[in-house]
Amino acid sequence: MPKFLTSINAISWYFLFPVIFIHFFVVAFPSILSLLLCLTDWNGFGRINYVGLENFQELFRDRVFKKAVKHNIIWTVMFLTIPVIVALIIAYLLTGIKRGQLFYRLVYFFPYILASIVNCLIWRYIFHPRHGLGGWFENQGIDFLAKSPFAMKETALYAVAWVDMWHFWGFLVIIYLTGMYQVDDSLYEAADIEGATKFQKFRYITLPMIRPIFVLSLIIIIIWSVPTFDYVYILTMGGPAYSSEVVANHLYSQAFQRMNVGYASTIGVMMFFYVGIIVGFFAILRRMGWEV
Amino acid sequence: MMNKILKIFLTFILTAFFATSTFAATKVVWWMESSADTDPTVQEMMCDAFNAEQDEVELECVFKEDINDTIRPALLSGSGPDMFDTPGASYIKIYQDAGLVKSMQEYADQYGWQDKLLGWAYNSGVFDGELYSIPKNYETMIYFYNKTLFEENGWSTPNTLEEVESLAAKIKAKGMNVYAYGSAGWQPTHEHLVGNYFNTYAGPENVYKALIGEKKWTDPEFVEAIELLRKHMVDEGYWSGDLETYYSLDWDDFNNEFATRGSAMLMIGTWGFNVTATNFGESSDDWDWNPLPILNSQAGSAPNYQLATGGTMSINASSKNADGAAKVIDWILSDKARALKVTGSLGYGAWLLPLKYTDADFDPNIDPRQKRFLTEFAEASDSGNYGYTTWTFYPNDPGVHIWKDMEVVWAGDITPLEFMEESQRLWDQARADDALVPVGKR
Amino acid sequence: MATARFRQRSSYINHAILIFMALTIILPLLVLAFNSIKPSSEFGANPLGFPNEIRLMNYYDAWVNGNYTQIFMNSLTLVIGTLILNLTVSGLAAFSLAVLNPRGIQTIVVGLYLLVGISIPAQLFILPLFLMWKSLYLLDTRIGLVIIYSALNAPFATFLIRSYMLQLPTELFEAAKLDGASVMQLFTRVALPLSWPVFLTTALIVSLTVWNEFLFAITFIITDEYKPISSILFTFQSRFANDYGLVSAASILMAAPIAILFMFFQRRFIAGLTSGATKG
Repeated sequence: MPKFLTSINAISWYFLFPVIFIHFFVVAFPSILSLLLCLTDWNGFGRINYVGLENFQELFRDRVFKKAVKHNIIWTVMFLTIPVIVALIIAYLLTGIKRGQLFYRLVYFFPYILASIVNCLIWRYIFHPRHGLGGWFENQGIDFLAKSPFAMKETALYAVAWVDMWHFWGFLVIIYLTGMYQVDDSLYEAADIEGATKFQKFRYITLPMIRPIFVLSLIIIIIWSVPTFDYVYILTMGGPAYSSEVVANHLYSQAFQRMNVGYASTIGVMMFFYVGIIVGFFAILRRMGWEV
Repeated sequence: MMNKILKIFLTFILTAFFATSTFAATKVVWWMESSADTDPTVQEMMCDAFNAEQDEVELECVFKEDINDTIRPALLSGSGPDMFDTPGASYIKIYQDAGLVKSMQEYADQYGWQDKLLGWAYNSGVFDGELYSIPKNYETMIYFYNKTLFEENGWSTPNTLEEVESLAAKIKAKGMNVYAYGSAGWQPTHEHLVGNYFNTYAGPENVYKALIGEKKWTDPEFVEAIELLRKHMVDEGYWSGDLETYYSLDWDDFNNEFATRGSAMLMIGTWGFNVTATNFGESSDDWDWNPLPILNSQAGSAPNYQLATGGTMSINASSKNADGAAKVIDWILSDKARALKVTGSLGYGAWLLPLKYTDADFDPNIDPRQKRFLTEFAEASDSGNYGYTTWTFYPNDPGVHIWKDMEVVWAGDITPLEFMEESQRLWDQARADDALVPVGKR
Repeated sequence: MATARFRQRSSYINHAILIFMALTIILPLLVLAFNSIKPSSEFGANPLGFPNEIRLMNYYDAWVNGNYTQIFMNSLTLVIGTLILNLTVSGLAAFSLAVLNPRGIQTIVVGLYLLVGISIPAQLFILPLFLMWKSLYLLDTRIGLVIIYSALNAPFATFLIRSYMLQLPTELFEAAKLDGASVMQLFTRVALPLSWPVFLTTALIVSLTVWNEFLFAITFIITDEYKPISSILFTFQSRFANDYGLVSAASILMAAPIAILFMFFQRRFIAGLTSGATKG
């Protein structure tokens, strides 16, 4: 056998082949197929007509798409702040706890293992104006939560995000916690001798030490926020009045409700580019020597 | 060039899936829309009864929860059932374009289906001059009211906009909601209201002209109708008290609310007969119904019944047993008394076939309120006095827009005129794409 | 002495905060649990509290109407099938990236490819994939869905296993190589036995995602007899929209196996996830 086929470099490719093959086959190839469709007006069934860049022009006129993009940005910012801060604080508090730690970790993580449909069911019930909290307050004679936050255009997006964050933040706690446990105890002991406050220890020891894992969690959040779909779809369908519409949801309704498969693919292309830019950005950071 | 490569590539992939049907020769499989309440009755009175009466064709009824999601892939793949249900003509139009549904014209001629069905109902399945679908059920929008409550307060049922608004004020003064309704669980519920206001404010004549393109949807009567709906929904909170609660209530919620005096009226389709009768059966109140009040003199005379088909039946283009499927359909259409018996045991909320019923076909024990609807509607629709629902007469894209973007009007983000302009644009597009569904001559 | 008391007090505050956050999670879950044993007549008067009358029949109804036994087995088949296929391909890839050629161009190329792969929304490729599956006779088969799930979970699993294998001391591999082990033997005799904890972790997480997935399950399984549990809850929600007792019981039935698994493997689960995230 020629040497270049048995070199360690070649062999390492052989080991990679199955995963690349299966993933290309299931995800990449049909995605490419779908990307071709963005130049057509296909409705999913009938004739396929080439329409050039018409779909892209349409996209820039599309009021709902713009709204959805805005919501995706809000969504990302919310997830980059609220659950991250809460999880950091809770994880830090947990490191100082001896008794009951296992219990807390178990509880915080628990919603993360539940199916989205189960989580949505719980919160839809709790926020139901006639049952749940609204009904409970009504029974007490208090007019609170008499309107479902999922049904008000001012709050729908945040209410959906709340449910998603409720299910997600425990995951971050666990990630940060493990990072914090890798910090050498002697650092804290030295700080104690210097008389550092709890916050100072957090700021000058914990945070720098867990930076790699912290940055990683941010990347995960940014990337996962792009195709976010389940919670919006199950809870509000993007409504009322598109006030909780996100891009993946818009794509879905174009493809499956309005049968504009070609146009839906165009939205997919935009998502794809966006993710490409983010991934490229972090790749460059990494090249520049960042430990991310 | 690009065009060509794409076409070849994609059509190749598509055609590769039109595989042969896998079912045995004498067996006809029918995918029906499932509903837990009605499935056992349909199985017993339709499917089993058919199989018991003859042995040429064996009918297997499969009840599918999510038929709209599953039938599309199944048809595309060529492995679907011989017969299937759809929610309405806009779906059939798409399947017909794609060659996925079989023309039933030869069967219609052979068995004389045109004579058996109500004219408008037959026409709703005719595309390019051929019959592709038959309505399984027809329905229209009416309103129910709590008769006892109305008598107690000396209220009379409203016939004009002024009467509606003054009655609404009286009902609200009693601490009740005017109408019970909600869209949780079925977002397109909005279109029921849009259709009602189009037909009772702008009037069936104008809606007809707009449907066939002789009138613009941006004309003042339509814009005013939407503005009135916006006012009644948002400013007045006619439905369940306020917009947000309307968004949050589902079928059981609002039916309960109506039956327990949370609301005085229920503006809904005739599919509400069954649940209303059941719920009121447990209360001391009595109920009745009326055709919708006419909100504007240009909307013509009462009664204002909008035509709607609730589900259709069709034959799969790749079915090997189309002849057998046609026999099933003919069996269903051929006995009016049996058809009434089936729909009667379903509370007339399902399987109300659009046949030409006469007085003699009815069971003497039928609820008089129910019978009044059946005979009055048949009379009115046969004499050409009818309106149009959006879900039976709108093509797909404008049809989604009309309920989805209605929320945007309610939210105050766009004006009724902007809403109707977008609707008109989508209609123009659909007309240019030849995506319209049959309306029939008025 | 003073410091000790201060510590004591701050620890109370810590516990107070932690308990408060725990309650935000426990209380909604309790509502679900209460609802699952509540008769439907009680929901109006008592929307949140413990039921006055316990009705375990909700579970029986959910079990029978949902045909739970059959559906449970369907889901289990999907999980096991996915684990076998996914762990094999991901394990091989991770071994290559972590041990065979950790500094090679592969790490960047495959890493980027899989990273982008994670972020493609399923709606983008589900329709073409459906058509491909039909032409390959994989539609409406469990193996077809297993292949999809394996691919969808492959990037994550590969990263996770790789990050663990990076920690393995290279001396072990060098020593094995000196003993004349082939590359495949390095994988099966050295890497696998040492990294079984991460395989267990990956297996748990993959099981979780497969168990909870419903978009692909509904689209790619047409025959009712093959449908997994996630799609049943989906249909339950529409069929029994307002029978909260029944739907809650069905939800708990769905969550129970995965919750038990989680309780049982909690330490291992978190330990594995940790090393995955730090070195990712």
